[in-house]
Amino acid sequence: MKKTTIRLALSAATLALTAGLAFGGADTKVALVPGGPHPYFAAWEQAGADAVKDFGIGAGDYRVPQKWELSQQSQLLESLLTQGYNSFLIFPGDAVGTSPVVQELVDNGGQALALAGCLKDPTPALFCMGTDTGNSAYLGTKELIKAMGGKGKIAHFTGFLVDPNTQLRIDAVQKAADETNGAVTVMQVIADIDAPQPAEEKINAFLAANAAGVDGIVTTAWVPAVTAANSLRKIGDKRIKMVGIDHDEVVIKAIKDGFVSGTMLQNPYGQGYIGSYVLDKLRSGCTIKADAPWKSNALTTKFVDSGTVFVDAAQADTYVDAMRGISKTLMASMDKDFLACK
Amino acid sequence: MISSHTTNTSDTMPVAAGRQSLVQRLAFSSEFGLMLLIALAVVIFAGTLPGFTSPFSLFTIGRQIGIDTMIGLAMMAVIVSGGLDLSVGAIGVCSAMAFGWLMERAGVPLYLGVPLAVMFGAGLGFINGAVVVRSGVHSFIITLASMSIFFGIMIFLSQAQAFRGMPPEVLGFGKMRFGGLLSALLVFSLVVCTVLSAFYRFTSLGRQMLAAGANPRAAEISGVRTGRVFIACHMLTGALAAIAGLMITARTGAAVPSMAGHLGQDWLLPAFLAPVLGGTLLSGGRVAVFGTFLGAALVNIITSGLLLMRVGEFWIQAFLGLMLLAAVLTDRARHKLLQRRGMI
Repeated sequence: MKKTTIRLALSAATLALTAGLAFGGADTKVALVPGGPHPYFAAWEQAGADAVKDFGIGAGDYRVPQKWELSQQSQLLESLLTQGYNSFLIFPGDAVGTSPVVQELVDNGGQALALAGCLKDPTPALFCMGTDTGNSAYLGTKELIKAMGGKGKIAHFTGFLVDPNTQLRIDAVQKAADETNGAVTVMQVIADIDAPQPAEEKINAFLAANAAGVDGIVTTAWVPAVTAANSLRKIGDKRIKMVGIDHDEVVIKAIKDGFVSGTMLQNPYGQGYIGSYVLDKLRSGCTIKADAPWKSNALTTKFVDSGTVFVDAAQADTYVDAMRGISKTLMASMDKDFLACK
Repeated sequence: MISSHTTNTSDTMPVAAGRQSLVQRLAFSSEFGLMLLIALAVVIFAGTLPGFTSPFSLFTIGRQIGIDTMIGLAMMAVIVSGGLDLSVGAIGVCSAMAFGWLMERAGVPLYLGVPLAVMFGAGLGFINGAVVVRSGVHSFIITLASMSIFFGIMIFLSQAQAFRGMPPEVLGFGKMRFGGLLSALLVFSLVVCTVLSAFYRFTSLGRQMLAAGANPRAAEISGVRTGRVFIACHMLTGALAAIAGLMITARTGAAVPSMAGHLGQDWLLPAFLAPVLGGTLLSGGRVAVFGTFLGAALVNIITSGLLLMRVGEFWIQAFLGLMLLAAVLTDRARHKLLQRRGMI
């Protein structure tokens, strides 16, 4: 009996060594943790659930901090590690302030990707996958300028100032305007309004005072996009052109009805789904290729663009297919260009 | 001269104290119920949740207890005077941001930056205290206003940008642990608790704070300059809030404007929970320094346990409210029982 037990233990140890001490599959427990409650991240829940089903991983749970507060997120992450989660997809509450807790996760056997927002280098996160927010804001503004006929004044409504993406978006909108050699100017940037109350208050106050003077609106955060689309519908004047962001029903319907010119879609589902896949592969023994084709942004040199696409009235009914296509391409690219698996 | 029956620290019972042994006094102190609840929570969670007693878990729980204790002490220092300070979070964040500016922009050495930041917090507390005393308006209104003013000015000056260029020693202190599990922040909080306890017990100013909080008119007649004492209470609150802000900065390695939520409001629940659970009277005049520590410990142990039990994150706030209510009611029942038996 004793000999049999020893033999079994030796066999198990040999198997583990042969496999390069790799884990994965059911052993991979992924936690998808945003910075706080926000509709953008809702798609991560389904992405995690689908990853469990499709890749056979042990867990793919979407866990939301109670508030947009760095210490709440840190406390939740510490607790998740204690609960046995070993793979983390994290939207950083702060580009630098989140790094210490991620380092603790890594030091205690976890692995992490920064998702939808990046950590500032040097970072313990393996890499950052998200929308190239600067590029998305730049392309969206270019589309807006086209809709405005190449001239006029634009207003920019954007998200939390503590969101690492916000400054990138502000700079990108300004860059697109500057390229018109003065034909288009950014008359006002209103930030820190990615929540219903401040968005309603500030956007409506802006339009009440400046509706006659503004020619275009670009929004680079979810809630301001919804609020501005609603406000333009209420005003009923289609003279003011708008390009929004994301795929809230209000925005899509406003595009169909002609109150909004279009929206820059992001890919939150693809981020969660592909992120879970990558972390499972890495736990299974795959490694990240040294010559992986990383992009760079203001925060990191290891950035993967999860895709963005402009949707106008012509694609308003088929945008889901467009995003699926982007996710499929990115998934194939992960296997081919980023991961080295034996 | 301040009489002892109006100036109560955590482990002094007002009546019949002389007749009771130290063990009896300890057993019937406000902190005793908390210690029992903590022991019960630890036993339940350790027995049912596999990861609860892991070194990492104990380290992170301890670290959070250290921070919440300091936030609780900051509020306790002004509750003692019968007032309160809603701007405690705003002061903490402003002081942390001032520290970040001193480190990153001004190039001030760490050994100067820390005391300057604490003095900055005390300075903001002085503004609160002076306006409260001069205007005669309740501190609730004054600090509600100053919360917005302090936070607004900080956001304007910093453009809501974090200071991330901290010396490595700052983050090193936040990560430091003894024996693999005891957080340096927890140990530091216990040291501050000891110093504060001695301050209230043995110093003239400490006893004057308690006397002025218990009965301002009587204290005034006894020669205590209550206005100055109330301002000193607010300054102490500001200094302790600044220390709490620096502790969070040590934890995150950055001074972040959102560290205490919008306007610093996220500190309010731990700021009130810890001292009230610990036995500090909201009406003033009684302080429970180690009770505040125990209150913060209970809150964090239960929060961590609930997180590990995968109770939805949004339900935890409701649990904390229920816990506060249950603790207060239990404490009242215990006091009534002891009074009926003539033990207090």
